[in-house]
Amino acid sequence: MSVDILPVTPPTGAVSFKVQGEQLYLLPQKALWWPAEKTLFVADVHIGKAAGFRALGVPVPSGTTANTLQRLSDLTAQYQPAHLVVLGDLLHSAKVHETESLDSFLQWRVSQSDLQITLVRGNHDDKAGDPPAAANVRCVDEPFLMGPFAALHHPGEHPQAYCLAGHIHPCVKLNGKGRDALRLPCFYDNGKGMVLPAFGAFTGMHALTIASGEKVFPVTPQAVFSLPIF
Amino acid sequence: MSATVDVTEASTLAWFETLGWKAFDFQREVWRAMRAGGSGLLHATTGSGKTYAVALGALQALGPVSRTRETRILWITPMRALAADSARALEVAVQALAPSLKVGLLTGDTSTSVRAGLQKSPATLLVTTPESLTLMLARGQADETLAKVSVLVVDEWHELIGNKRGVQLQLALARLRRLNPQLLSWGLSATLGNLDYAQTVLLHGGSGAAHRVEGLTPKRLQIDTLIPDNIERFPWAGHLGMRQVKAVAAEIEQAATSLVFTNTRSQAEIWYQALLEEKPEWAGLIALHHGSLDKELRTWVENSLKTGALKAVVCTSSLDLGVDFLPVERVLQIGSPKGVARLLQRAGRSGHAPGRASRITVVPTHALELMEAAAARHAVGLKRIESRVSPHEPMDVLVQHLVTVAVGPGFIADELYAEVCAAYAFRHLSRERFDWALAFVEGGGASLKAYPDFHRVAKDEHQVYRVPRADIARRHRMSVGTIVSDASMSVAWLTGGRIGSIEESFIARLKAGDCFTFAGRVLELIRVRDMTAFVRKAPKGKGSVPQWQGGKMPLSSELAQSALEMLALTQTQPLSAWPPEMHALQGLLEIQSRWSALPSPERLVIEEIHTKEGQHLFVYAFAGRMVNLGLASLMAYRMAKQSPGTFSISVNDYGFELLSADVFDWRSALDAQAGVLSALQMSEDVLGSLNSSELAQRRFREIARIAGLVFQGFPGASKSTKQLQASSGLFFEVFKQYDTDNLLLSQANTEAMEQELEMHRLAQCLQALQLRQRVYLTPPKPTPFAFPLMIERLRERISTEKLSDRVQRMVADLEKAARVS
Repeated sequence: MSVDILPVTPPTGAVSFKVQGEQLYLLPQKALWWPAEKTLFVADVHIGKAAGFRALGVPVPSGTTANTLQRLSDLTAQYQPAHLVVLGDLLHSAKVHETESLDSFLQWRVSQSDLQITLVRGNHDDKAGDPPAAANVRCVDEPFLMGPFAALHHPGEHPQAYCLAGHIHPCVKLNGKGRDALRLPCFYDNGKGMVLPAFGAFTGMHALTIASGEKVFPVTPQAVFSLPIF
Repeated sequence: MSATVDVTEASTLAWFETLGWKAFDFQREVWRAMRAGGSGLLHATTGSGKTYAVALGALQALGPVSRTRETRILWITPMRALAADSARALEVAVQALAPSLKVGLLTGDTSTSVRAGLQKSPATLLVTTPESLTLMLARGQADETLAKVSVLVVDEWHELIGNKRGVQLQLALARLRRLNPQLLSWGLSATLGNLDYAQTVLLHGGSGAAHRVEGLTPKRLQIDTLIPDNIERFPWAGHLGMRQVKAVAAEIEQAATSLVFTNTRSQAEIWYQALLEEKPEWAGLIALHHGSLDKELRTWVENSLKTGALKAVVCTSSLDLGVDFLPVERVLQIGSPKGVARLLQRAGRSGHAPGRASRITVVPTHALELMEAAAARHAVGLKRIESRVSPHEPMDVLVQHLVTVAVGPGFIADELYAEVCAAYAFRHLSRERFDWALAFVEGGGASLKAYPDFHRVAKDEHQVYRVPRADIARRHRMSVGTIVSDASMSVAWLTGGRIGSIEESFIARLKAGDCFTFAGRVLELIRVRDMTAFVRKAPKGKGSVPQWQGGKMPLSSELAQSALEMLALTQTQPLSAWPPEMHALQGLLEIQSRWSALPSPERLVIEEIHTKEGQHLFVYAFAGRMVNLGLASLMAYRMAKQSPGTFSISVNDYGFELLSADVFDWRSALDAQAGVLSALQMSEDVLGSLNSSELAQRRFREIARIAGLVFQGFPGASKSTKQLQASSGLFFEVFKQYDTDNLLLSQANTEAMEQELEMHRLAQCLQALQLRQRVYLTPPKPTPFAFPLMIERLRERISTEKLSDRVQRMVADLEKAARVS
């Protein structure tokens, strides 16, 4: 693995940590950056979710897919990754194949032609089916091993590898002085690996109960924070 | 097949005679009016013969009936529990006077087979709820069948007028009137501060003469308070007054049958348990009744009450209405009734036997409720009763209605617009707003912003709007209704058998093995599957309390004003002139005056104290919970506009607390020209404060459900709807970001302003506060009035700080705490 591409300064607002000698960054953009391999991880993109709702008669305004793709473009422009790994649930449901959302995704893919994309299939992908060949997305089942890491959708364990996963859309409730309280998406270190927050614009969150030995990293648009362990 | 039946005044009176009854004058007045084709409002209390006044009038108004298998009279009742009872009472009359006619009952509880039977062979007189009536509009043949309806009666109209269920009914009425312009509509209402208005709303758009009939003058009413022996040790708030269990049991003992009203379901559960512990020999003699319990259980309780088999029933508003329980001698009210109308209603449940007075005894659950009890009696004496106002143009209800009619016979836009405008709530509806609602269900938004792939409603080749997809129609029928409760989940025994339903959000907080009290038992959660919580009897000695919502009824402004007057009385009158409740409060009032000052109609008391939590500011505006929240939001927002900050707000009926981590100079901010409590620019600032709080978002929960954004699902059918699960919070965010002009969003703002913050009252209150003398004090520790506010856990927040700054501070605090531990 090459080390010369390591940025001199860590990305703004990121939390950095090392796993088996590999430098990783938790980005405020709800992505995980592995500079040594120029690899970017995101989880739970849920493209076509809003369109699926609309097709079933629930009015959701358009724009969420465009927003999701725009944020992915911003990320690739900033970090110039060679490889994007989606930790499951790239597509929301089978309905997506009949919607404009898929076209938007394919168009976006054309603009990112140099980027290698790997999808670790999640529960939604199983139902939705793989993206069409034109999307040029390599689809694999979990666990997908990458050096010291196992890319998963469902958080789990691996005997050798450090797990990177999604699926649970983690968020955490913070309490502060003056009875202040906030609910924020977060990265979640469950002791076996790191769970990423959901990346998609039209996705919900699941509040975590944190057990001892676990860590959470709440995310605001400006920065990722590291909470102390009690 | 059947001969013609004709109910006349003579045949009615003859039947009365066989029972040894005499018709009351007001009954004959209603009959006469109805026979003459008039509509109206009957103001009467329960058990006064109001049902037969209107029901027999309706039968007389029908004239000779030859076709008995079409629905001619609709009897709308706000509660399912009440529906069965009304149907029984009407059945007795119909059996006697017109036995060939059929009385039917159609509510959410009605079984599929009975439902199908009613559709095949409709009842002449159908008892139903606003939701079930709306569902009738969603049938393909709705227009043909509903055109036959000649009389519509709304029982307990006072319960519906002020909410969206009432608006749903207004829309259904407008439709029925278009189908049959001669439709008679009658409302039955208990006492309200604005009966004229209630009549106007109901009869709006109708034809024929409008009558107002006064029923019998209400019974004598006695209001007293169970004053605890020991006020000093009496908890100040948050507790449930369990110390009074012994005394309550003693009161129950004295009367043959008592109703024990609580304000929340969880409180009912707790009191039921506590009474059983106090008097184990009452097992089987006392029962529990609330809206989450299964229908069978509730019916059993109601029937046992009627036969006098029960000593006492602990209940919630589920027994507020209608049903007559003759044996009830006493009514006990746990906690403050919060409103004068509610107090009268509940008191009216007792003393139905001739010559007996109604009696209600307030059982305070914290010391300040003694003051509320005295205030309530004072307000009743002054006939100071709350008014209820119909919601104005709720777009969510309109959106729902458009889909309902499209699912049913379909509609032409111009015709439906005219029809909707005939409903009082939409009498000023602009065509623009109507078209917006239409565009919203048709394509998601105005043409330029249409949502791709979205078509809930579509126009056919004859310009008729219909719902093209069967699954959308089915889902709409399942979710019709404007009563918004949390998504509910069945509670069932592991071994089989349903116990009732409970809010999903409550179950979601439990883990398998956790215990909770429900239906008078301590249950252990085993697992959750398919929207059902499976439970078994818990091992002895464990129990957690269900935290049901609905406990935060605001004190009405009538009662709040009366409470202030009670406080003033203690400052101007000698001890001998104080009501007993205020007498009992003497110690507490003395501490409040010594450490700070007593609020009064002329004096606004403000206190500032500092603790390790931060700076606390207490303001005792005595405006009721909602207006106090408005005042608090406004003050916090105005302060935070000057310097960024985050305020945590706690409110009760007497005042509010603004808590901040940082110190702010409130004294100068209050004294300044156009200060934080100024009446200038109120609307702009309240709207501003909404954007920095979560109020509008919370309001949106209900709107999202009514407008059909959030599909609640129903027990047993959750799987097919899983792909449609999204929270209203998520919808709120996407609308805010991608469709800012969406009228449902502005409705959330308007509702938050009108209903949560009660802008109208807020404006009046701000004006009134300008006239009060302000007293700014810095007491050494929390005063008796401050204490309940400090321990309140449910809080609102207003922030103008950057998110990262807030997190930064929280993380820093946590770091500090981590180092210490």
